Amino acid sequence: MSGRNRWLTAFAALIYALLFAPIVVLIVFSFNQSRRNFVWQGFTTDWYPKLFANEDLLDALGVTLQVALIAVVASTVLGSLLGLGLARLRFRGSGATETLLLLPMVTPEIIMGISLLIFFAQLFEQNGSLGQIAIAHITFCISYVAVTVRARAAGMDPRLEEAARDLGASAAGAFWHVTVPLIAPAVAAGAMLAFALSFDDLVVTSFNAGVGSTTLPIYIYSSIKFGVTPQINAISTIIVAVVSIALFFAWRLGAFSGERPLQVSDEGAAAPSPG
Amino acid sequence: MATTAAPAGAGTTSPVAAVAEYRRPLIDRIAGLALILPGVLWLAIFFLLPLAIILVVSLGSRDAAGHLTLAQPNLNNYIEATRPAYLPAFANSLRYSAITTLLSLAIGYPIAYWISRYGGRRKVLLLILVMLPFWTSYLIRTYAWMIILRDNGVLNSGLQAVGLIDEPIALLNTDFSVILGMTYGFLPFAILPMYVSIDRLDQHLVEAARDLYASGSRAFLHVTLPITMPGIVAAALLTFIPAIGDYVTPDLLGGAQTTTIAKIIQVLFTSGRNWPYGSALGFLLMVVTLAGTLVALRTLRREVLA
Amino acid sequence: MTYEPSAPSSRVEIELNRYLAEQRMTRRDLLARIAEIGAVAALAPIVAACQASTSPSAAPSVNAATPSAAASTAPTPQPTPQPTPESDLFVYNWDGYIAPDTVAKFQKKYNVKVKYDKFPDADTQMTKIRSDSKGGGYDVTYPASTEISGLAKDGVLLQLDQSLIPNLKNLAPDFTNPDYDPGNKYSVPNYWWTTGFAWDPARVPGDLSSWTALWDASHKGHLGMLDDQREVFAVAGFRLGLSPNTTSEADLDQMLALLKQQKPLVRKYTEDDIGDMTSGQLWISHAWSGDWYQMIADKPKIKYVVPPEGAVRGNDTLVILSGAKHPIAAHLWLNFNLDAEVSAANTNAIGYMGPNAAAQSLIDPAIVNDVRLNPPAAVREKLVELLFLAPADLDKYTSRWNELRA
Repeated sequence: MSGRNRWLTAFAALIYALLFAPIVVLIVFSFNQSRRNFVWQGFTTDWYPKLFANEDLLDALGVTLQVALIAVVASTVLGSLLGLGLARLRFRGSGATETLLLLPMVTPEIIMGISLLIFFAQLFEQNGSLGQIAIAHITFCISYVAVTVRARAAGMDPRLEEAARDLGASAAGAFWHVTVPLIAPAVAAGAMLAFALSFDDLVVTSFNAGVGSTTLPIYIYSSIKFGVTPQINAISTIIVAVVSIALFFAWRLGAFSGERPLQVSDEGAAAPSPG
Repeated sequence: MATTAAPAGAGTTSPVAAVAEYRRPLIDRIAGLALILPGVLWLAIFFLLPLAIILVVSLGSRDAAGHLTLAQPNLNNYIEATRPAYLPAFANSLRYSAITTLLSLAIGYPIAYWISRYGGRRKVLLLILVMLPFWTSYLIRTYAWMIILRDNGVLNSGLQAVGLIDEPIALLNTDFSVILGMTYGFLPFAILPMYVSIDRLDQHLVEAARDLYASGSRAFLHVTLPITMPGIVAAALLTFIPAIGDYVTPDLLGGAQTTTIAKIIQVLFTSGRNWPYGSALGFLLMVVTLAGTLVALRTLRREVLA
Repeated sequence: MTYEPSAPSSRVEIELNRYLAEQRMTRRDLLARIAEIGAVAALAPIVAACQASTSPSAAPSVNAATPSAAASTAPTPQPTPQPTPESDLFVYNWDGYIAPDTVAKFQKKYNVKVKYDKFPDADTQMTKIRSDSKGGGYDVTYPASTEISGLAKDGVLLQLDQSLIPNLKNLAPDFTNPDYDPGNKYSVPNYWWTTGFAWDPARVPGDLSSWTALWDASHKGHLGMLDDQREVFAVAGFRLGLSPNTTSEADLDQMLALLKQQKPLVRKYTEDDIGDMTSGQLWISHAWSGDWYQMIADKPKIKYVVPPEGAVRGNDTLVILSGAKHPIAAHLWLNFNLDAEVSAANTNAIGYMGPNAAAQSLIDPAIVNDVRLNPPAAVREKLVELLFLAPADLDKYTSRWNELRA
């Protein structure tokens, strides 16, 4: 067991290093003197003050975060309910609903983007806006959340909820106190996926953005013609820094203590685990 | 409803439960619908309806001025879309997606396993650390890979400095860089669902298997793997399907020889100004991918999850 | 010569200009109309608008105008007082396509807040502005000249009120009354360029001059072509002596065959020729002249040539979109960019020559005197412009381009 532990840990360390390698590069290059992001030409911190003076870039970041927030909340709720329902119940339309779930993922982004563009432009005379982008994001995020939650809920023993009901819990109570905690990790995982998807989306967003609703990916992609300036590295560095600092404080405050008094598995055997 | 999912022999016996059971199915059905309905309604309005519009577009054509006309709906675009000229691009897409998915699963499963089993108190922190790079901009990370993989980039310079190579190796604009970039981009989509599945595995089951004289690898194959299979399937779905439609990564990290079918569709919509044709090709791609996925899922369910 | 805005004009002036903008008429048209149906009938809408209670524009002053005053302010050939612009302007342009301070200067001068959105490529631009056939919410944008006739026919563009763009007189004779937009009815020229190829002499020795250099097998794996189907087919056309605007399938098949021969040598069909050449990914690449100017900022040794077999001369334009919510500010933006100093500043920043004769003396001599960035008239005559293609003809190119790329 410990031998496997060593190799596995080494492998994990390697993968983490590879995951962060581009991040390190992008942080280093945020101090690059060259306007273009390619060749190292000297150290400077000029890009950071320039970044804060760049209203367009900051606006783009603001729009991106707002959209991501809306998209994550809505798609997590809708998607979790959908995934849970599919996993737990057999009903006449479940096969079709499953296929419906897969459809947004199978759809090439350009088709989804253009379909929404036509939909909003012709039916609602909308030219793109923050709300329109948010709706588009929710639409493709739902599937990812649903698939993730479904995988977890599919393995959950439904008798647990029945047991709670037998013991006098109401339907809602059983749902809230038994089912929800059991699928909570999957819901959280789905939310994290949805955030990453929304934050980074380019193609669908570019067809649904309008005046004043440019997102960060659109801003960056529009810069390739004349070079992605290190200002963008600077903003990414700041995002990483902010999230890291927040994580650090959360850790210090014990948010990740992971003490779970009861680890319930599907086989019904409840056993205390060291967490 | 809930009782049908319970294994045989675990049926209720008490009269009280029998009465309660009789009432429950209706409530459960309503509850079930309440769960499904919001999501389905949303998808119906904001996904199916726009998609139907595009389907209609794909049956149309363009008039002399380039405007979409539905005067004579026909399937010409679909027939055109099956031209053999596009096969290399389609093959590229399939190849990249398949390899990316396999790599993501192969790398992601051990990571998910490690976090779940050995993460201890820091499990959630480690999981968030996996996600952290993906909360910076994807485009910027891709540009960072370009800086690393270029001919005079970090990797090549390093290898030359150490003396392993004399001339830079062409790493960027190749199959290698595309697959690397795609795997990197899809790894968290693989890790998260697998983690969720692995985490609920009761270690006692594995111990029991070992007690019954199973070796480590047999215990893994016959206990761990089947129980975590739903997570693996979810991870495969969340990786393979979007990878086929991925246009940006191969465009930025790839080169002249790595064109994907997603790029062809993009060209048709944009510089080709041919929305009907692009829509048709897109639909074809969707149908093929969906059919393949459903077949694979059904086979998996029969063989593995039975 | 700079343009000074006058004092806030009368209500009549404002309503007149708005009416003209909405009706896509010039003042000359209005005069013609008056001749046809009489002054009272023709000017009635303007009079009515003057008497309406609110004015949507940001004009602060309102003179009490009587109906007879409306008739008497029918336009004369002299330059009219500048109407007050709206408070905002929505511009849709490439990144880095104007001097860094152009927007700031404009904002300060006219007290107009500019919202400057960018697109990564021309196709995104076209999709966006055609999405509602009125410009997708923007006021001005910069389309290539080949797009103008299609856009105008489809009603996406606003007909220009040339009285609001007096700087049109700064245009060099080459650019007044262009083929793609006779009389500059819908557009003003922006920049023009040539498309040749660039190479790094440290990696690629020799004094190259012909397009055949891009088919040289010794460059395999380090060669780039632009990710632009018309430009790439044009290069094949020049090598074969065929027109880059051909619609003959036989011609196009020949070009395709030649390009297929080249494909194994090509590292990428690039959208970022500047980045790829300066970072060393490409040693030799199909490139635009202004892009070469930017390359040498980071790598001064890179060379560029316009091959004698033929090359593309392109230009793009500034247009106002028909759905523009701020037409007056839009006209002012066009006029501002045609100002000699502003035009020269733009050119100096990015290396693309402008159409502005009056600006020539203000442009950096390194640009003006460089025959590669600013070829003399004799060379310019031999350059070919890419023309608009009808969809059926464009399909012939697109299908072959996709076949090449797949």
